[in-house]
Amino acid sequence: MDSLNSLIDGFGTALTPMNLLWAAVGVLLGTAIGVLPGIGPAMAVALLLPVTYGLEPTGAFIMFAGIYYGAMFGGSTTSILLNTPGESAAVVAAIEGNPMAKAGRGAQALAAAAVGHFAGGMIGTILLVVLAPTVAALAVDIGAPDYLALMVLAFIAVTSVLGSSRIRGLASLLIGLTIGLVGLDQMTGQQRLTFGSLQLADGVDVVIVAVGLFAIGEALWVAAHLRRTAGKAIPVGRPWLGRDDVKRTWKSWLRGPFIGFPFGAIPAGGAEIPTFLSYVTEKRLSKHKEEFGKGAIEGVAGPESAASASAAGTLVAMLTLGLPTTAVAAVMLAAFQQYGIQPGPLLFEREPELVWGLIASLFVGMVLLLALNLPLAPVWAKLLRIPRPYLYAGILFFAAVGAYAVGGEALDLVILLVIGLIGLGMRRYGLPVLPAVIGVILGPAAEQQLRRALQISDGSVTGLVNTPFSITVYAVVVVLLAWPLLRKVIVRRRNVAA
Amino acid sequence: MSATSPGTTKRNLASWLRERSELGVGVLLFVLGVLVLTDALTLDADLAGRGPVGPATVPLVVGCGLVVVAVLLSVDVLRGGRGEAEAGEDVDLTEPADWRTVLLLAGVFLGFAVLIGPVGFPVAGALLFWGAAYALGSRHLHRDPLIAAALSLLTYVVFDMLLGVPLPGGPLMGVI
Amino acid sequence: MRLRTPFALLGAALLVLVGPPLLSPGSGSDTGTQIPGLRFMVPNTPGGGYDITARTAAKNAEEAGLTGDIEVFNLPGAGGTVGLTRLVGERGNGRLAMSMGLGVVGAVHTNETPRTLADTTPIARLTEEQDIVVVGKDSPYRTIEELLTAWRKNPGKLPVGGGSSPGGPDHLAPMLMAQAAGIAPKDVNYVPFDGGGELLASILGDKVAFGVSGVGEYLDQIKAGELRLLAVTGPKRVPGLDAPTLREAGLDTEFTNWRGIVAPPGLSDAEREKLVALVTELHDSPQWRESLKTHGWTDAFLPGEEFGSFLAEQDRRVASVLKELGL
Repeated sequence: MDSLNSLIDGFGTALTPMNLLWAAVGVLLGTAIGVLPGIGPAMAVALLLPVTYGLEPTGAFIMFAGIYYGAMFGGSTTSILLNTPGESAAVVAAIEGNPMAKAGRGAQALAAAAVGHFAGGMIGTILLVVLAPTVAALAVDIGAPDYLALMVLAFIAVTSVLGSSRIRGLASLLIGLTIGLVGLDQMTGQQRLTFGSLQLADGVDVVIVAVGLFAIGEALWVAAHLRRTAGKAIPVGRPWLGRDDVKRTWKSWLRGPFIGFPFGAIPAGGAEIPTFLSYVTEKRLSKHKEEFGKGAIEGVAGPESAASASAAGTLVAMLTLGLPTTAVAAVMLAAFQQYGIQPGPLLFEREPELVWGLIASLFVGMVLLLALNLPLAPVWAKLLRIPRPYLYAGILFFAAVGAYAVGGEALDLVILLVIGLIGLGMRRYGLPVLPAVIGVILGPAAEQQLRRALQISDGSVTGLVNTPFSITVYAVVVVLLAWPLLRKVIVRRRNVAA
Repeated sequence: MSATSPGTTKRNLASWLRERSELGVGVLLFVLGVLVLTDALTLDADLAGRGPVGPATVPLVVGCGLVVVAVLLSVDVLRGGRGEAEAGEDVDLTEPADWRTVLLLAGVFLGFAVLIGPVGFPVAGALLFWGAAYALGSRHLHRDPLIAAALSLLTYVVFDMLLGVPLPGGPLMGVI
Repeated sequence: MRLRTPFALLGAALLVLVGPPLLSPGSGSDTGTQIPGLRFMVPNTPGGGYDITARTAAKNAEEAGLTGDIEVFNLPGAGGTVGLTRLVGERGNGRLAMSMGLGVVGAVHTNETPRTLADTTPIARLTEEQDIVVVGKDSPYRTIEELLTAWRKNPGKLPVGGGSSPGGPDHLAPMLMAQAAGIAPKDVNYVPFDGGGELLASILGDKVAFGVSGVGEYLDQIKAGELRLLAVTGPKRVPGLDAPTLREAGLDTEFTNWRGIVAPPGLSDAEREKLVALVTELHDSPQWRESLKTHGWTDAFLPGEEFGSFLAEQDRRVASVLKELGL
């Protein structure tokens, strides 16, 4: 009840006209900049930091929250429309969202994403209000062996995205894992597959891999087989979500947060793995499995909702523990310090007005974001009606800008092209691109947690299964693996009995 | 069969290989696997850290996986398995592949990477957009360059001036 | 049609060639400390230590009216050596500076880069920060002596958490401690984490036996009693913190992390002096004093040549530690 009262006070702070204005400005700026190639939420927040300098802390953070959510949403817009994800959390949105956009259902995809963000953000923030202290206490108990168990679970889930040919799906996964190996070894600092290049020392960014495989690979593949006869523009279709769409997606919107939020709250969770897990879950549960890969709306709704909820989870760790679990949180932490405020265990006591004002403005920002983006979805979707040569030239152009803007290194462009050529080859020979992207995300994370767990246990293998959490997860894994076998046994029993 | 002339054998071989061009994927995967394995074996084992998993362990697993998958994939292809080329709204698989356009596009992109340093972003970016549109079949010779230039300049202004993400301005920066 | 095409081409060419210089803001006066078009490179990601230092310094310099807009940009990679390589490549560019610190010194060695800090023009050291040795509130170690006793007995069983990769400040500090405590650095079980956040969670959850981090990072957690501070690594106690220095605990070593600014090589004397003057003025400005206070940074201003010799000395020290570790 205490937190409810504080929250109502928070709304009092957030709903003053000035603060409302800052939230609106933040949402607008965040969306506008998040749409730009190569600028993810962390970059957007860092770039817009100076804009908030003139404000008093509460107003500044309310604007910040708007920028953060706006930038996340802007990132999925380019992901859906142009197949060029601006940040890793938006990668999964491209898989189903872009085919939808190509088929003239761009407005629906964007609307599903917008509502997904709204639902995820809302539920995530409610969870933040209710659970913050509890989750924070649990989060620090999650250690390397537990992360590793979660990764193993995620790897099991990969099998459901391998595609029709297992061997080709596996080849794709291994290509991704290989790209993930590039860079300095986390534990010993040795160079792996960098060929002496410093630029490769931090590995290949998953956004570069996704843009290369998705956008560049697709543009080149289309160039090889461009439909020259038809020339008809992409149909625009209805501008809104139909009843069928809502019927298919409402469960996905509601499921996403429960995958995204816990991952956001734990220290090494991030948004990539929950979006991917949400995608796999939606695929498993969907009645329209055959549509997956060709534009299934659940595949946009669920992951977007998970991504947004994971952002709320990130705030739990940051506000209650002073623990930045993502790059955005790190930038926000720095911004807090700019005002002489140290997020951490004492923040709720010391700055209740600021914290609850910020949390209330998250709700306000979400409403603003939805109000802004639902009407905009059909407008954005019309963007795809420009002639094909311009569309694909534009995709190449923006992918190149994005890759270059990050570090100003021409080598990044060459890497992008090489990955694009790999993407082309994979399309030609029926290697699905999704497992490769998953490999780049999961591979390094799993290796790091495995080795960290072993390091902490001083090399003893029991260090991998010494927590109740990890044992539980492994039990789930075993059940999942044994399920087809178990089912056979059960069916046979039943047949015998009958 | 024994009566076939060397010419036809060659042609047969060529068409046999063309049918099974996917074997190339197997070869590439195999080479990649060998590369990963050699790289892993050159790592300094002294720094292995604690426990059975050192810096080389995961690369070794991935490398072996690549080699195994390469072999399995080749076997699959020889047995008649084929990867399904990806379809899509803008893709016409009935037409033969137009590799000239692909080469042109890749060339234009590479040109951008090479030119951005010396001639600056606005020029290189305009050439990228125009070149890509041209390669994809747009032939509005008076409209395309202007669109490309405007887009490129606008992007430059937004990134470099409004957002403060530095992009090279070109040889005339500081001269005028 | 035929006539319009050349015109279109000409128009497009003019647009992209002449547009950028005409649109860029007036070059401004080049007097006093003013350096028009000054750019400040950050060799790690937004939100990191060098990033905060650079953005704060740029903001304070602008507020104090020392110079016009300073463009801060990030070029992360390989512990800062990607940025360093670029900086050295920009020979003679008097309008570029890079924020850096002890971590870059270590990264130059671990990555064996051909370009080192000796190739740069040192401008100034700005701040320094002691490291702290902390444990979770439920840890069995109540004092630094208890921790050291247990550590000496079985270094492998006591994993040390730090927020930097091998060669970074949080790695060097426990290695120096181990050396002084008579533990072979190779026996130290160092577990690197992705920055202070992940590390904090592992210390709170008692995943590691103890953690080493910057003094500013966990002040609140220490005050709230979530973390127990066992020692500070610098030469003197930190005011307001109830913890002994390592020397008081009988370890003959000290360690202080620092941050500073370097510029590209090959600058003229005038250009170099101008940058040093700008940073000196910044250091004397009330805005910077205020920032030092809000961020909890310790002033450690050391301009020009002296900073150069300090860099050389730090380089030797880091090299000797890493050599012993076989990195």
